[in-house]
Amino acid sequence: MTWSEDTAEALADAGVELVAYLPDSKMDALIGEVVGDDRFETVLVSREEEAVGVLVGAWVGGNRGALLCQSSGLANTFNAISSLSVPARVPFLGVVTRRGNLGEFNIAQVPAGYNMDKLLDDVGVRNTVVSDQENLRETVSLAGETAFSTQSPYVVLLEQTVTGRKSEATK
Amino acid sequence: MTDGRANQYACTESVLDITPDAAVVSNLGVASYVLASVSDPKRARNFYQWGSMGVTTAVGLGLALSTDESVTVLDGDGSLLMSLGVLSTVARYDPDNLTVVIWANDVYGTTGGQSLQASHTDFAGIAENSGLNAVTVQDTEAFTGAYRDATESAGVTVIVCHVDPVDPDARPSFDFPYIARRARDSLTTETS
Repeated sequence: MTWSEDTAEALADAGVELVAYLPDSKMDALIGEVVGDDRFETVLVSREEEAVGVLVGAWVGGNRGALLCQSSGLANTFNAISSLSVPARVPFLGVVTRRGNLGEFNIAQVPAGYNMDKLLDDVGVRNTVVSDQENLRETVSLAGETAFSTQSPYVVLLEQTVTGRKSEATK
Repeated sequence: MTDGRANQYACTESVLDITPDAAVVSNLGVASYVLASVSDPKRARNFYQWGSMGVTTAVGLGLALSTDESVTVLDGDGSLLMSLGVLSTVARYDPDNLTVVIWANDVYGTTGGQSLQASHTDFAGIAENSGLNAVTVQDTEAFTGAYRDATESAGVTVIVCHVDPVDPDARPSFDFPYIARRARDSLTTETS
């Protein structure tokens, strides 16, 4: 299976029913998987912090939710995460394509992307980095399990070694 | 208090009278303090926000997509101004069980009443041009009629309700996880 098929299965394994997302070139394959899969209801948002709100509402309504976006978009969510999801103990599973690290060609992606794991730690959101597809499905599934069990958000950061390299770096 | 604006307390009471079983998602600060002022303290379906300015309407959308119950958002004009894109998102899904009320008091009421400096901005016009039904009301009676119509019609209606600024003493519980859990329990275990 492809990395995106593995991840979609992991979201289903974790009981995710609602997926909120904003497009990203790397995330496109996974978004295609979930939008075309009737196990999931999907919500395209205008800005990523909306997605956190949508997922909090979904939880209060009885659904488990996941966020799909890029690391720069996750930076847009920090007030929503740190003043709603974390303090209200409302979980969601984040699957985020991580920029700013291996192979990055765009310096504008580096400050938030490279430091995203530490930024999440600082606001109390547990997270892990996946750099090998072999462990992807199990990692995303376990991340969802602990997020919904402990009622706190959890974010999985996907390196380009999983999602594929962006060609601009070698042009 | 006599410039022909609606009374936010009376309008919030109308919300609870017309839709007594609705989940009500209230913006941080004044919208939540007014809701706490007029609600039974035991009302489980008040999902008060304590932070995340600009995200309240998005919370209401996610909730409306995840329950068959009516959902009403009580947002503020300042909060909407920092997140206008959410109106386009709401219009994309347009759930029949969602109504969005914007308390338009022209000030940042929770931080001391500083002016929005946005009197040139037509929030209902923005909502309409984002693909939603929208109406502007200027008094409590008009609000009550508009709210009843909104809850009985298909799709989402945004009601922009011009109100005088208020400064309530009441507060919701400071126990934020309890607020969320109580609302969730009410919506997931007490209904069919």
